[in-house]
Amino acid sequence: MANTVIGNTIVIDGEISGDEDLTIRGTVKGKIALSASLIVENSGTVEADIETKNVEVSGNVTGNITSTERVELKSDGRMVGDIKAPRILIADGAVFKGNVDMER
Amino acid sequence: MATARTPTPSSPDGATIIGESVHIRGQLNGGEDLHVLGRVEGRVDLERTLVVAQSGIVKAEVSVKNAIISGVVVGNIHATESVELTREGRMVGDIYSPRIIIVDGASFRGNVDMGDIANMPARKPSAERPRPAPAARPAPPPQARPTLTAKPGAKPAAPAPAAKAPEKAPDKAPEKAPEKAEQPRPASVTPLEPPAAKGLPQKAQKTRVIVKRK
Repeated sequence: MANTVIGNTIVIDGEISGDEDLTIRGTVKGKIALSASLIVENSGTVEADIETKNVEVSGNVTGNITSTERVELKSDGRMVGDIKAPRILIADGAVFKGNVDMER
Repeated sequence: MATARTPTPSSPDGATIIGESVHIRGQLNGGEDLHVLGRVEGRVDLERTLVVAQSGIVKAEVSVKNAIISGVVVGNIHATESVELTREGRMVGDIYSPRIIIVDGASFRGNVDMGDIANMPARKPSAERPRPAPAARPAPPPQARPTLTAKPGAKPAAPAPAAKAPEKAPDKAPEKAPEKAEQPRPASVTPLEPPAAKGLPQKAQKTRVIVKRK
């Protein structure tokens, strides 16, 4: 219950910050700053700069991701932007265009 | 990772939840219910229900179908159906909604507008309860009027039938005795009595007419 979910029909234009996991099924534009995990589900669209601990992308992401732990692009994930994280996983089928930086 | 995934399926697909530690600044649009346990600032436009939980804080212009407020709202709410301030609800701002429910214990400062009240049937007593709050503010001016001018003040305050009484009063007062200038004053001091007092003079007039005919 306490988990944050942005539903299918929701569109947020602005800034999201927080200390808990965030699941996006709708659309978020702007900026996301979390000290926990961000999950972009199949139906989710993110056009934002993202700063989190973990990111899991099954939907669409446009923007740069800076992660302190890991970023995972799932097989149905599509991403345009730069990724900076110590661990980066890109699954077979994922679409990605951008830079990768694994420097710690 | 596992902990992150397990809560996700447990929450229904049709609901959006803003968790306690989450802070959203900007514009939020949607066609589904929104539960705010955290903080939302800016603007919220929903086609369905906004639920502000006890821990929730919304500082925004809100436009929704329904709103249920148990937390804090600062800003104006436009609702097409209803707004409910629960016992724990705190709100500062204006409410525009055909149905407004303010529960005992709720804290609210602002205007209430239920739209075209004249054409609205009084369906529920609960829907009418919020009215006394806005009505309490215009109340002081009518009290001030009778002190300034007794009769003109009574006319606008009282409904149409009451207007007859003041008309008679001025006729009697000058005719009988200008010395009794004190009499109209007590009549204005007790604005609730005119309906009772009204009936008596009307009957008296009728009797007088009869007397004249005889």
